[in-house]
Amino acid sequence: MITLLKNGKLYDPTHQKNGVIEDLYLFQGHIIPKPIDPSKITQTFDLTGKVVMAGAIDMHSHIGGGKVNIARMMLPEFQETRGYSEPEAHICTPNCSHNATPSTTDTGFRYIEMGYTAAFEPAMMPINARQAHLEMGDTPMIDKGGYAMLGNDDYFLRLLSGKADQKTINDYVAWTLHATQAIGIKVVNPGGISAFKFNQRRLDLDENNVHYQVTPREILKSLSTAVNQLGIAKPLHVHCNNLGAAGNFETTLNTMHASDGVPMHLTHIQFHSYGTEGDKKFSSAAAVIAEALNKNKHITADVGQILFGQTVTTSGDSMMQHLNAKHANPKKSVIMDIECDAGCGVVPFKYRDQNYVNALQWAIGLELFLSVEDPWRIFLTTDHPNGAPFTSYPHLIRLLMDKTFRNEAFAKLNLDAQAMSNLSSLGREYSLYEIAIMTRAGAAKLIGLNDCGHLGVGAQADITVYTDQPDREAMFAKPDFVFKNGELVVKDGKVVKVVWGVTHTAKPAFDIGIEKNLGEYFDQYHTIQLDNFKINDDEISEGGRGKVVTHTNKS
Amino acid sequence: MAKSIVMESADLNTTQFIATCPACGLLCDDVLIENRLNTLTVKAKGCAKSVAFFEQAQSQNEVSAKIAGKPATLQAAILKAVQILKLSQTPLFSGLGTDVLGFRALFNLAQKTNATLQHMNATSLQRNMRVLQSAGWQTTTLTEVKNRADVIVCIGTDVVSHNPRFFERFVWVQNAMFCDAHAREIIYIGSQDLEVSAGVSPTGKTAQHIVCNTEQLPEITTVLRALVFGKTVKAAQVAGVAMADLQAVADKLKQAKYAVFTWVAKDLDFPHAELTIQNITETVAILNDTTRAAGLPLGGSDGDTSANYTNTWLSGLALNDNPIEHDAVLWVNSFSPTKMPPPLSKPNDKKPTIALGHANSQFETEPDVFIPIATPGLDCSGTLFRVDSTVALPLKKLRGCKHPTLNEIVQQIEAHLS
Repeated sequence: MITLLKNGKLYDPTHQKNGVIEDLYLFQGHIIPKPIDPSKITQTFDLTGKVVMAGAIDMHSHIGGGKVNIARMMLPEFQETRGYSEPEAHICTPNCSHNATPSTTDTGFRYIEMGYTAAFEPAMMPINARQAHLEMGDTPMIDKGGYAMLGNDDYFLRLLSGKADQKTINDYVAWTLHATQAIGIKVVNPGGISAFKFNQRRLDLDENNVHYQVTPREILKSLSTAVNQLGIAKPLHVHCNNLGAAGNFETTLNTMHASDGVPMHLTHIQFHSYGTEGDKKFSSAAAVIAEALNKNKHITADVGQILFGQTVTTSGDSMMQHLNAKHANPKKSVIMDIECDAGCGVVPFKYRDQNYVNALQWAIGLELFLSVEDPWRIFLTTDHPNGAPFTSYPHLIRLLMDKTFRNEAFAKLNLDAQAMSNLSSLGREYSLYEIAIMTRAGAAKLIGLNDCGHLGVGAQADITVYTDQPDREAMFAKPDFVFKNGELVVKDGKVVKVVWGVTHTAKPAFDIGIEKNLGEYFDQYHTIQLDNFKINDDEISEGGRGKVVTHTNKS
Repeated sequence: MAKSIVMESADLNTTQFIATCPACGLLCDDVLIENRLNTLTVKAKGCAKSVAFFEQAQSQNEVSAKIAGKPATLQAAILKAVQILKLSQTPLFSGLGTDVLGFRALFNLAQKTNATLQHMNATSLQRNMRVLQSAGWQTTTLTEVKNRADVIVCIGTDVVSHNPRFFERFVWVQNAMFCDAHAREIIYIGSQDLEVSAGVSPTGKTAQHIVCNTEQLPEITTVLRALVFGKTVKAAQVAGVAMADLQAVADKLKQAKYAVFTWVAKDLDFPHAELTIQNITETVAILNDTTRAAGLPLGGSDGDTSANYTNTWLSGLALNDNPIEHDAVLWVNSFSPTKMPPPLSKPNDKKPTIALGHANSQFETEPDVFIPIATPGLDCSGTLFRVDSTVALPLKKLRGCKHPTLNEIVQQIEAHLS
């Protein structure tokens, strides 16, 4: 009945265990204290010399919903990349389809094979949440969850421009979390997706949306306050204005102050750390962004590292993706205005190491990783699939942990880009403990998953076991064992049992009176019934595979 | 029964529901239905298609499964279906008229039986997919149209033949957030036969109708695209339409704040229709360099959008219309009693056929196996995608039904296969 993981070397930052040799006991899906009666131990894994971490958590990965599916639909050629042999194939795991648009099954399998046991869809449009949950419901092996997008929806913008009080905003935000079965709130290009529908092409932090006469700063203030006052763990997830634009670092710096010290998470910050220096008017502002992150303790960030090769960018940011569409490779893209709720832009990209901008983007991401001091406030992402498919994480981990490997890669880049980066002067190498913070303990803490990301008694028994190898890419690509809820599901990097994870949500209390006004809005302006907007728990647990887990508010 | 019962009248035999209608791609979810003694009546917000769908007769007696046209037990029919699938090397699953959950079940069965999936609307679906996969597009959805569109161009379609309530629900509304709904400009480009009366505004303003044969749409859309791009076209007319008329349309589009171009792929039934669709979507792209515009593919029926989406996330690929070599057919149609497998191309071409279909199905050629199944949105709950993508809506069970769901039948077949 009880599984014993014997003699493993534990990296468990939540409990300050940095390579401590200890036994773990698993029972009914959880880690339990050492049993009094050893006869109940029915299965033992000798992990002598092995590295043991909690299952990894991807806190930002586009794994479900309309954008991802449009990308699949538009790019059938991506499915033909199995057995890829081009140079960039080195970023593949052994079973990797090297595919930026994996099917839902592929997504679950590739994640668990790398020792990831949870992933969070960061851009769930409320009107599209049902599709996101349907897709995540068909994603095996891992736990899932989503952040609901607000801040460009006309209902919210009407509230804000009509000077609604903070309580009304809070009620609407909480209602949205319930209705969409989300665990966090995201804002993408605050006010900008809406502005694009009124033919504005850029929106700066203090510039008005022409119709609503509100600024991104006001939107950020309102939403971050709501999230904070509702008491959910996950800080407002912010995709800043001016994504990808040279000189956008100033917007990013100013955005850090838009919440007046209330916690915010700035996502894929690599895409928002660009200066305008040099002949090509495109430079790294990683140093100044990292310094600001080090100083502003209320801000967390994930990187959104790019890696070279073919991928596709899928974003809610229709405004900036419409500008980016001219760089599409292959030359096709989808831009959508959606339901007075938000929008989306799907643009395929091929990042090349000999292209100045791409090479510098690669360096900027790594400069950020190496210059941000606190691993609890910076997270390992490629903004899958926007910077690279998530299957490239082992490669990225090696770049962070192995200075020689990193500098060799840097030396092969476009020479002008090399001249504009200080990367080779950054000698830092991440430790296993720091990797465990970034990909486990920190991510769980950020999202509010109290039972995940650690190896303490009571934790969900999601555990990954690696062989300690000098080649960190090989090590993280193929764990020896992965346990999901206490069951052995991966052995030697291959799935041995198919299981289905849960959907994590947060549901703070709110005044249901908000539905009166919402109902009138829906009747007048929307095209579906308010009741049909809301997703029942039953829809997720249908068929007995899925399950909704609701996390209590942060303490 | 569905949860949201509107009212139970004093007459205990009567219940009312607000239901979602799967009869076309709009999925109107405001239809008031009354169930009296298991017979449904549309009481409000209906259209010809929804009335035909909800008020369709349900036989009082259970329709039995059949083997070679003769009544059989469900168990025997399932075993016969299993036998056909086991003997087949390359089965074709076609029709695919079902909802997301039904499609998912079929997809899994296809994986186990080496089957290929093809929807009954594959030809028209593929017209849009070809454009998406070669150039992409810039599109919008129905709530944006309702609140924002100031010019609506219907190309090769009147829309209402497919989506009867389009103008009522999304165009001639009382209040739109960002424009004067009743002042909208409607432009039809297409055949004399289009039913353009729905384009007359509540104030009596008629729509502009640029008349051409459907087959001339490639020419018209090519020239319109050129004019919007700013090119000079020397000809005095194209496909019988005066150039000045098309130039006027182009000017109107450039001045519009949010022009919407709609088409129904089924109505563009001529060779290489995808090039005409691409003319439309590229015209949108040109307009978006200076103002705002968007495409809106409409139509949709028999769960085609849902099948395509679900197949895409489950396999990574959209459905297609490739010709498929096959040695057996599994035909699925839960929504319509009239849509049938395509006729045999040659009299001796008969392949073993299993039909999982609407209980009222009438076959010209009896399939080897027929199993009646429940209709989502009528006999059982379900989930469907609206034609404009993005929006998925729950369907309700509105009446008692003795037939199993597609999911249940597929599960039983799978159990016998392993």
